[in-house]
Amino acid sequence: MSAWAEIVGATHARPGGPEDAVDGLVPRWVVSPGSVAEVQACVRVAAGRLALVASGRGAHLDIGAPPRRLDVLLRLDRLARVLDHQAHDMTVTLEAGCPLSLVAETLAHAGQWLPLDPPRPATTTVGGLLAANLAGPLRASQGRARDLLIGIRVVGSDGCLVAGGGRVVKNVAGYDLPKLHVGALGTLGVIVEATFKVRPRPEREEAVIVACPTAAAAADAGLAILDAEVPPLWLVMAGPGELAEGPGCGAAAVVGLGGLVEEVAAGRELVREVASRRGLRTAVVADGAALRGRLAGFSVEPAAGVLRAATLPTRVGPVVEATVAAARDAGVDVRCLADLASGIVHVAVAEATAVAALLKVLRPALERDRGSLVLERGHGALKAEVDVWGDPGPGMELMRKLKATFDPSGTFAPGRFVGGL
Amino acid sequence: MLPAPLVARLRSMVGVEGVIDRPEALLVYECDGYTLERAAPELVVLPRTPAEVASVLRLLAAEGIAFVPRGAGTGLSGGTLPVGAPVMICTSRLQRIEAIDVANRRVVAQAGVVNQWVSNAVRAHGLCYAPDPSSQPACTIGGNIAENSGGPHTLKYGVTTNHVLGVELALPSGELVALGGAVEDRPGYDLVGLVVGAEGTFGIVTRATLRLVRLPQAYRTFLAVFDSVEAASEAVSGIIGAGLVPAALEMMDQLIIQALEAAFHVGLPTDAQAVLLIELDGPLAGLDAQSERVEAVCRRNAAREVRVARDDVERAALWKCRKRAFGAIGRLAPNYCTQDGVVPRTRVPDILRAIAAAAARHRLRVANVFHAGDGNIHPILLFDERDRDEVARVLAAGREILEACVALGGSITGEHGIGVEKIDQVPLLFGPDDLRAMTRLRAVFDPQGRANPHKIFPDAKVCVETRAPRRQVAL
Repeated sequence: MSAWAEIVGATHARPGGPEDAVDGLVPRWVVSPGSVAEVQACVRVAAGRLALVASGRGAHLDIGAPPRRLDVLLRLDRLARVLDHQAHDMTVTLEAGCPLSLVAETLAHAGQWLPLDPPRPATTTVGGLLAANLAGPLRASQGRARDLLIGIRVVGSDGCLVAGGGRVVKNVAGYDLPKLHVGALGTLGVIVEATFKVRPRPEREEAVIVACPTAAAAADAGLAILDAEVPPLWLVMAGPGELAEGPGCGAAAVVGLGGLVEEVAAGRELVREVASRRGLRTAVVADGAALRGRLAGFSVEPAAGVLRAATLPTRVGPVVEATVAAARDAGVDVRCLADLASGIVHVAVAEATAVAALLKVLRPALERDRGSLVLERGHGALKAEVDVWGDPGPGMELMRKLKATFDPSGTFAPGRFVGGL
Repeated sequence: MLPAPLVARLRSMVGVEGVIDRPEALLVYECDGYTLERAAPELVVLPRTPAEVASVLRLLAAEGIAFVPRGAGTGLSGGTLPVGAPVMICTSRLQRIEAIDVANRRVVAQAGVVNQWVSNAVRAHGLCYAPDPSSQPACTIGGNIAENSGGPHTLKYGVTTNHVLGVELALPSGELVALGGAVEDRPGYDLVGLVVGAEGTFGIVTRATLRLVRLPQAYRTFLAVFDSVEAASEAVSGIIGAGLVPAALEMMDQLIIQALEAAFHVGLPTDAQAVLLIELDGPLAGLDAQSERVEAVCRRNAAREVRVARDDVERAALWKCRKRAFGAIGRLAPNYCTQDGVVPRTRVPDILRAIAAAAARHRLRVANVFHAGDGNIHPILLFDERDRDEVARVLAAGREILEACVALGGSITGEHGIGVEKIDQVPLLFGPDDLRAMTRLRAVFDPQGRANPHKIFPDAKVCVETRAPRRQVAL
């Protein structure tokens, strides 16, 4: 204990309790460094003998396989500053513990946004966003964290601070080290700082809900809308009964429109055309951003487990149907929400006991088509029983080497990632 | 000297015509678009299939021989210079577009497919491949992936890495490994993201799954004319600051304008100090409103004229100028060298002043044509190769310009890569710990350092014959 107190001060190191557990594992210590140098010192203490999981505000610690071992929960929420916002350069540099709501507030003053909209923006930190590769409906048009991240600083297993990328929007100097850490779930180092390019926030955002009798009909309408002349800002396919706003109780394609008033109006007309050709009804939701925020929260709404399937956009409808059928066979209720453009289907499963059965039935077909099915969220006990990640594909050997290279002694979140890395 | 039996085995693998070893034929391969340094390989091998690439690499692995990958040889940083690597492996015969999935907007292309061919193949479906380097009629997908290439339209659409979903990589061991793929979000580390931009030091990409984008419904293309570079730069900031994201925002200075006008006679104002080529694209709705804003910003920043392309012919003429700008340089000087720095976009006026100062200091003429919206500068240093002193001054000025980019918070390369050209400037950006992380990353893919050795990293530098260039490749 005293070693940690020496580094971060007595008030920022304490013994771990049940509320600090990661997948049921209680850390021996919870340590909150107040500077990058303190993060480095903490990593040096842990290196080679202790296992460390980095966390921001703990909003997404239910992602990933249970850690094999957990000694230190390293909380980065004291590193929460917006370091630099160059509005005219459209870049922002942030400390890893900075919550996305603060980022949004800062950028809003300049009419800008970081168009990444994961669940729980108030407690999601920059480090968590990157490590877990979180996204929301906006990825359909704005890309993922990897597409917006231009620079990173990471504390490596030897305690060294390593920088990759920079602060300019276009840069091919050296290897793309930022990519190494996006979606790595903190298994290769502790992210302490990140620079993003930002974009102008659309002047208007609204949504149009297309009520559909079935998921297949919603997927069909959604794909037609993606092909229309006005590309949507986002497009979510909601399974039966998902939307309070929805006209009717069937499935729905929910189309987010953003831009100038004229663009939104033209988009709205195109959506109505696609719908009326199919005999489908539409309803306009004026506050599109609010609806999007609610849809983004789907994967953290109460459920025993949340699966995430990845497939091709044209396969989303069939995957949702197969999922609903498998759930019926397993005698469990599921709710589905899909990002049609990206081919991502979230499945909220009501009962933990059914999760293993669904994985067993659905995963082989998805992986055969080079897609995937991940148990994105669930309790530690459930995750301990199943293969959380599935087959990462032929790159696994290289991934093992990456882990062995950058974290040879297994300090960073051991066991949390694919293939037990 | 490579052993004769090895050469014979390579011939049996890829066909007699797929192995080049006559000295006069090898001359073509002694440099790419960066011509200030040259070295000929002992042997060039041109496999016909991804499997042949793997076989060749397995053979080289068994013999412990280093190799350098090459696509069309249009690179601008000497990335394909065969230094300490006797064998060059050219992917130019891997020319098949293997699959087009219109509904999901994916295409699978072999490494030697020319960038432009991809867009040509999908245009009828209303789609295109967005990254568009100026060399797109010649450069290959494999080369684009190695360099993480950009182009004028990357301001809105992003660079190569944003459009590559999967690659098949022939590791230096000769093992073929498929990374990523048509479906997004495969669990695991972002190996595809690491391979893109690795400058061929992880192995040879043999095929790639690319993301396609929809062709915009409409375009608005402008030429804004300014009496000072500062005013044009302010207009760039103004456009970005107004929340507009043009598809392209390019600046050309007076020297380029004059050369272009002499070459193409499109009515460019030869007395102007700078012009901006601005393109908006997207849905027709809202495009006119955005156009009015762009025009207003230009006028507010003292544009003396804002021309709008009235039709596709006029638009094509403007783009022809931009994309062939380097070709027009031949009218200004026998030789030129293009730099590729980046600064935060608000610092464009500062870097232009620094470029002018470096030019004056070294008694050189410099023309500027660049991606202003991204802050990605391309000063073109003019010289005559017969004047050895001038060549030395070009190299010195180039170094100073890159140093100025870094001092302004930027980078030494936005889209051309480090190659051999900018090795000496790498320590300006990265410290020993950063570089150690990178060399360790490289060892994951290439533990023996046989893939494109002596590139990117300063300690990997060896002496290469530096001589005055004989020819220029226009990009």
